Amino acid sequence: MRKKKIISILLAITLTAGLMVSGCGKASDTAASNKTTEKAATESAADSSGTAATETESAADTVEAAKKIVVFQSKVEIMDQLEALCEEYGKETGVEVEVWGTTGDDYVQQLKIKLSNNQGPTVFSLAPGSESDDLISYLADLGDLSFVKDIAANMADEKDGKVVGIPYTVEGFGVVYNKDLINPAEITTTDAFIQMLKDQKAAGINGFSLSQESYFLIGHILNTPFALQSDPGAFVQQVVNGEVKLQDSEDFQEFARLMEAVRDNTNNPLEITYDRETGDFATGKSASIHQGNWCYGMFADYDVNFDMGIMPLPISGNDKLAVSVPACWYVNSQASEAEQLAGKQFLEWVYTSEIGQKYLIDEFGFIPVLTTMESVSADPLSQSVAEYTAEGKTIGWPMNTYWPAGIVDVNLVPVAEKFFTTDMTGEEFLAELNEAFVTAGK
Amino acid sequence: MKKRTDKAWYALFVLPLVFIFTTVVIIPFIIGIGYSFFSWDGIGLNPKVFVGLDNYKQLFTDIRFMDSAKHTIIFTVVAIIFINVLGLTFALIVTSELKTRNIARTMLFMPYLIGGLILGYIWKFIFTDAFSKIGEITGWNKIFFNWLLNPNFALAALIIVATWQMAGYIMIIYITGIQGIPGDVIEAARVDGAGFFDTLFRIKFPLIMPSFTICLFMTLSNCFKIFDVNLSLTGGGPSQATEMFAMNIYNEIFSLNHYGYGQAKAILFFIVVGIVTLIQVSITKKREVTMQ
Repeated sequence: MRKKKIISILLAITLTAGLMVSGCGKASDTAASNKTTEKAATESAADSSGTAATETESAADTVEAAKKIVVFQSKVEIMDQLEALCEEYGKETGVEVEVWGTTGDDYVQQLKIKLSNNQGPTVFSLAPGSESDDLISYLADLGDLSFVKDIAANMADEKDGKVVGIPYTVEGFGVVYNKDLINPAEITTTDAFIQMLKDQKAAGINGFSLSQESYFLIGHILNTPFALQSDPGAFVQQVVNGEVKLQDSEDFQEFARLMEAVRDNTNNPLEITYDRETGDFATGKSASIHQGNWCYGMFADYDVNFDMGIMPLPISGNDKLAVSVPACWYVNSQASEAEQLAGKQFLEWVYTSEIGQKYLIDEFGFIPVLTTMESVSADPLSQSVAEYTAEGKTIGWPMNTYWPAGIVDVNLVPVAEKFFTTDMTGEEFLAELNEAFVTAGK
Repeated sequence: MKKRTDKAWYALFVLPLVFIFTTVVIIPFIIGIGYSFFSWDGIGLNPKVFVGLDNYKQLFTDIRFMDSAKHTIIFTVVAIIFINVLGLTFALIVTSELKTRNIARTMLFMPYLIGGLILGYIWKFIFTDAFSKIGEITGWNKIFFNWLLNPNFALAALIIVATWQMAGYIMIIYITGIQGIPGDVIEAARVDGAGFFDTLFRIKFPLIMPSFTICLFMTLSNCFKIFDVNLSLTGGGPSQATEMFAMNIYNEIFSLNHYGYGQAKAILFFIVVGIVTLIQVSITKKREVTMQ
């Protein structure tokens, strides 16, 4: 009996201790971030020994730059490299740059909470489009950075004619294919694509693969028919208002036909994860996947013994890759002026200094967005994307720019799941997608 | 004098808790009620528009919300039955003369110590990959296929995982109840010629009624509020067939940025959970007997 009592007491203690530890963790976390903002503010106010090696044009103001800024950004892949870069910056200028971590999934929620509590980071990232529209009141004007004029056309995020977002890189997606199995010159129409699926299936190879993650399942592929409209923005608006139905558009009918063929002739994407999708492709089990140049890193673990390329999804004879800016840097307009200035100086340094540019291209693997920077990227997918961009053979990403926020995860994925688990027709599929847009756009 | 020190002690233990409870539960709750009358996207600098009761009116025409209510109710009812029946059975087994009862107790309690999110991912692997593999090998495709792709089976999968997680915890509560029954009562019953089932239904059950109250309350409220397992196991899919209340609210607020409307849902959710659990507690309380 006594033993039992001791055990139960111990159990209770561990439980409470666990609670306290986790509780404390959170409390001190916020306290710490509180402190950093306060500290940064006071420091900037008190300290007046400016060291800024990289003065911006706006340094004409009497405001001194803060000695410490906070960067919060969504791209998990570059986290370590970014921290190294910030350290370099600290060594060179004496300005401390703290990078907040994120898991990526709930980045936007986290950011919104922090901004709303006035504990926001100085520099943060967002996807240009609906995301940056939502937070427009927090975006500082970055027009006075020296390199803004060098940003490639239509790549910077502009609000009311002012440049507020500096693009990270460009990314493009389409059909990533195995050059041994597919000849892109033949696949230029929906019918040819469907024929390819059937041929590959007959040869025992999975012709094309999507995967279960929301954007890889439906977001990216549905982007193409939207981008093919003459005015995607107006088109989305009309769909949301119920003036136009997706079922009535020829591009979408082709899209639905293609999706039916994908369902009938390939693996069920709901059973495929991103890892498996890329793994199957790398080992030659899949002839093509719907992905973008970002997935090249996934092949590093495999011994890929074929050449790969990226081609457009040939709906309605489309010959353009979907290329756009996945994320931009923004400076928090609600931060103190000193912090904003320090944030701008940081961006200025990253994009204009030699070491910053080296990091952008070599370490982050970014495709340069400044016309003054040269691309030396080695991987074939990024090269293709850069070539398509140079030739102007690109379509945009209405999925980020015009679709209602949150629609992919909340409204489109359920429809796609239904499509891939039942035998609903393409027509019904389009009708439900249409309905999803009407609901989400309300 | 003694009274005063008593009060001081009382305050020492209670006040910190009251303070924490007020700041993290009561105050946000009241603010939350306020938000439910606004149309707002959750961004500090963006305007909040007062819309009165519109958010609440909209609730009753929201098909998706009603569907999620239906799933939640089905899930809760079935899961409560499974969890309690299993928990009670386990408790009876491990309080018997079984040799391995201590090991069994530990093993049965173990799943509860694994976080719901991780549990969900583990079982996701089992239901998708392991099940399809077993089906392929044995040929029993009718039972072993990817459960998470079928709306009904996905719900069943969720129930199984929730049961697996909660049953051990509920078992502990039942064990304390059963151990609290004085041996002489059981012995007297046996002397009077009561068999196993007579003892169980007429002696043990009435005497562990307080445990029933607690267990039913815990399972009821936990099942209603389930979120972590839901998120990691099915993510609400396939095609919203397993989207529970909490997840629906989460999506409304954090994915679609409808803070006011989502808040209205949350308030309604609170009221429903509150009413149901209160009814349950008052019913089972009435059936509790006290030892003379």
